[in-house]
Amino acid sequence: MTEIWQGLVTAVKLIISLDPEVMQIAGRSLAISASSSTIAALLCLPLGAVIHFNRFPGKRTLINIIQTLFSLPTVAVGLFVFVLFSSVGPLGGFGIIFTPAVMVIGQVVLITPLMLGLIISALSATDKAVTDTAVSLGASGFQMSVVTFREARFGVLAGLIMGFGRAISEVGLSLMVGGNIRGFTRTITTAISLETSKGDLELALALGMILIFIALVINIGLNRIQQR
Amino acid sequence: MSMALIETVNITQKYGGQEIIKNINLKVEQGEVLALIGPTGAGKTTLLRLLDLLEAPSSGSIYLDGTEVTAGKRLRLQARRRMSFVLQKPVVFNMSVADNIACGLKWRKEKESAISRRVQDALELVGMTEYSNRNARTLSGGETQLVAIARALAVVPEVLFLDEPTANLDPVSAARIEEVLAHIIGGQKTTVVMATHDMSQGQRLAGRIGVIINGELLQTGSPGDIFSTPGDTRVAELVGIGNILGGVIANRDNELAGIDVGGNIIQAISEHGIGAEVHALIRPEDVTLALHKDTSSARNTFEGIITRISPVGALVRVELDCGFPLLAVVTRRSARDLNLAVDNRVYATFKATAVHVIKRWN
Amino acid sequence: MKRKTIIAILAGLLLLSLLASAAGCPAKTEAQYPLHDPMVRFKIATTTSLYDTGLWYHLEPIFEELANVEMDIVYAGTGIALEYGRRGDVDAIIVHDRAREDVFLADGYGINRRNFAYNFFLIAGPASDPAGIAGSTATEALEKLYNAGLNDPNAVKFISRGDDSGTHAKEKLIWSQAGFDYEEVRNSGAWYVEAGKGMGPTLLMANEMQSYVMADISTFLAYNLKSNLSIVSIVEQDPIFLNVYAAIAINPETHPKAKIDIANRFINWLISSDVQDIISTYGEAEYGRSLFFPIAGCDMPGCPPVEDYTLPVPEYTGG
Repeated sequence: MTEIWQGLVTAVKLIISLDPEVMQIAGRSLAISASSSTIAALLCLPLGAVIHFNRFPGKRTLINIIQTLFSLPTVAVGLFVFVLFSSVGPLGGFGIIFTPAVMVIGQVVLITPLMLGLIISALSATDKAVTDTAVSLGASGFQMSVVTFREARFGVLAGLIMGFGRAISEVGLSLMVGGNIRGFTRTITTAISLETSKGDLELALALGMILIFIALVINIGLNRIQQR
Repeated sequence: MSMALIETVNITQKYGGQEIIKNINLKVEQGEVLALIGPTGAGKTTLLRLLDLLEAPSSGSIYLDGTEVTAGKRLRLQARRRMSFVLQKPVVFNMSVADNIACGLKWRKEKESAISRRVQDALELVGMTEYSNRNARTLSGGETQLVAIARALAVVPEVLFLDEPTANLDPVSAARIEEVLAHIIGGQKTTVVMATHDMSQGQRLAGRIGVIINGELLQTGSPGDIFSTPGDTRVAELVGIGNILGGVIANRDNELAGIDVGGNIIQAISEHGIGAEVHALIRPEDVTLALHKDTSSARNTFEGIITRISPVGALVRVELDCGFPLLAVVTRRSARDLNLAVDNRVYATFKATAVHVIKRWN
Repeated sequence: MKRKTIIAILAGLLLLSLLASAAGCPAKTEAQYPLHDPMVRFKIATTTSLYDTGLWYHLEPIFEELANVEMDIVYAGTGIALEYGRRGDVDAIIVHDRAREDVFLADGYGINRRNFAYNFFLIAGPASDPAGIAGSTATEALEKLYNAGLNDPNAVKFISRGDDSGTHAKEKLIWSQAGFDYEEVRNSGAWYVEAGKGMGPTLLMANEMQSYVMADISTFLAYNLKSNLSIVSIVEQDPIFLNVYAAIAINPETHPKAKIDIANRFINWLISSDVQDIISTYGEAEYGRSLFFPIAGCDMPGCPPVEDYTLPVPEYTGG
């Protein structure tokens, strides 16, 4: 119990004093996860629309597969991405192993099924009459999807937020492909993992609380936008 | 021969193995008002959706102005933009009434000035000008329907589809909508195709009626044709012909035929030959009741026992057993005067010209 | 539309962060870590014992300044470090298992091995020493642990690294010298625990479980002070406990992208008298004695030949 209290105290101290190493780590977590979430969103919004609005054989199966991939273990994705981008791997030529870039790519792979699945869910839940009305008024395919997205915006935004949440909280993938390099690829979660294994629980707890704090701020911010 | 505006050739629509629309061939003429009547679940909505190209048929083709428009996304979009559809339960977008009405025009990339003018015109047409800036989602059912109609008309469509326009409304709103529709039909040159299960509404608003039962287009014709001389017992049942009597033509005398119905002979005007199996259709309103045998020119008089009496609004339904079941409808006053009661004996009379004869298929 | 501007601003911020992180330069100021040329990144994989003592934290900024490169230090056991080396994901490795180093070099993955420091292993355990290993040699101690552990696994436990590290390799060597078959030992009972962790975390685990553990003396001392370990060092003096660290550059003939020039410079720097001095005194202030020994002082059986630590590595001229 004392560790948790101490952790809280340390967290506040670190935040108030703007401890440079902690700020750097937090900034990196945010940057990497924000990037991966943005890229995933840019992929999943149009892809989700295409899958939802079209009929094709195997659509049910595809959606089932996407939903199964929701719970991809992060270490599994990490291992897969590592083997791909390792110097001897097929994509090794890019030379981005152990850099933030490969962490972003890995997170995109990790959260895409989740985002995609939730976006498709949100679109499916909209009143078909809205889509029909738009089509009957002469909306083109693109115009009609805009209308449907507007109707489904709460569910879609929830999907994006969930994706971001998964990205910023994962450890396994970041450790594997990033290498937890101090000053370069260390994120809040990998730092927590390191500090815990070194026995410095106080610092680990402090970092954990900072992570929760960041997640809270982002969530509140996105919620305000949702309200409008 | 002028080309029909819309023509369907053998279209069929299947949902998951079930045929909802079976082989329909329908022509919609330019400028006409066509009402599709039929019971709920008959496929009216599906047919309208097919005509508006919201769905593609499982088989068959649809022509707009002579061009086939069944397949091809671009073709369908262009064709669809010449038509408008008002859903049974219309949905308005979460924006002002004016913005809603402008939607179709915005999507067609019309100029801003043209849009505001058209929106104004549409609002005036349905009498909703004061509602221009209200959020459309705050409107009542009737008001929403009017906005939907205005929205559909703002794009000046060549064809307007209406799916059960008053089915979900209270009588006052329904009457108002009908008034607006009648006004629009009278004033514009739009072709209108409407689906309704209310026969009298079809009669009131339409120039031509199509009867859809169980996915089949059983008959098209003027309201008079449909209501007085249906070609099918199912149509007859639909339009409220209460007496559908099965029999065989027993004798002929010039244009008169005697139909043997359960031992009784009913005189009717018909061309069918002796021995033909037929149905005799008689509207209950055409049956008069009296306490004494009628000696007027009416050819058909039968004595019968009253089996059931039920009031229907301002009228009274009387079911008789004359050796065959017969249904009559009289005013309340008449019922009182005749002292109608169950088990009483009365005489039922109807003219030979009131009997519509169709061949029996079953 | 208001919503669109907000989204545009957010998107802009995100894009900025993306660019910033891709360039390797965090969006905040880096007061303590002056940025060297971010375009030249020198990656090394290091054995956990050197990392957990903080030696690299100490040495890293010095070399970065000297060579004007960004050093990326990846924490790995000897096993995984060798794998990274084989894959060419790093430019140099720091390990401590002579046998596997030889194979690595023979297979052409590494060149220019130099030893630069050494220390000793020890066996630590609960102060009460339930297995009674005090005073034994390394092999005797393991044998006693084996028997005592089988006898009473609740009282006597041994935590192995279990991760193919250099420390783990040494442990396996001692088992075989004591006449045991390692596979048999692993599966013999609940008394033998495989941690699968680095040196520091394994020590902490042993501390929690009050069990015996084999560790290098440097990590042990560091953690003893930092985390106040209650387990104590019991068996120390034995030549087999000698633990020599080596630095190997990745062979550019196998991995052309390996930064051989910087690796060579790094290795030469490690065996230079400046660094050897640092190593000889690292930890003295805090722990009362230095945690590592400069390689030059190595004068017992098992120490590497002089050339292995005094000859500077040649400049790479191969093609």
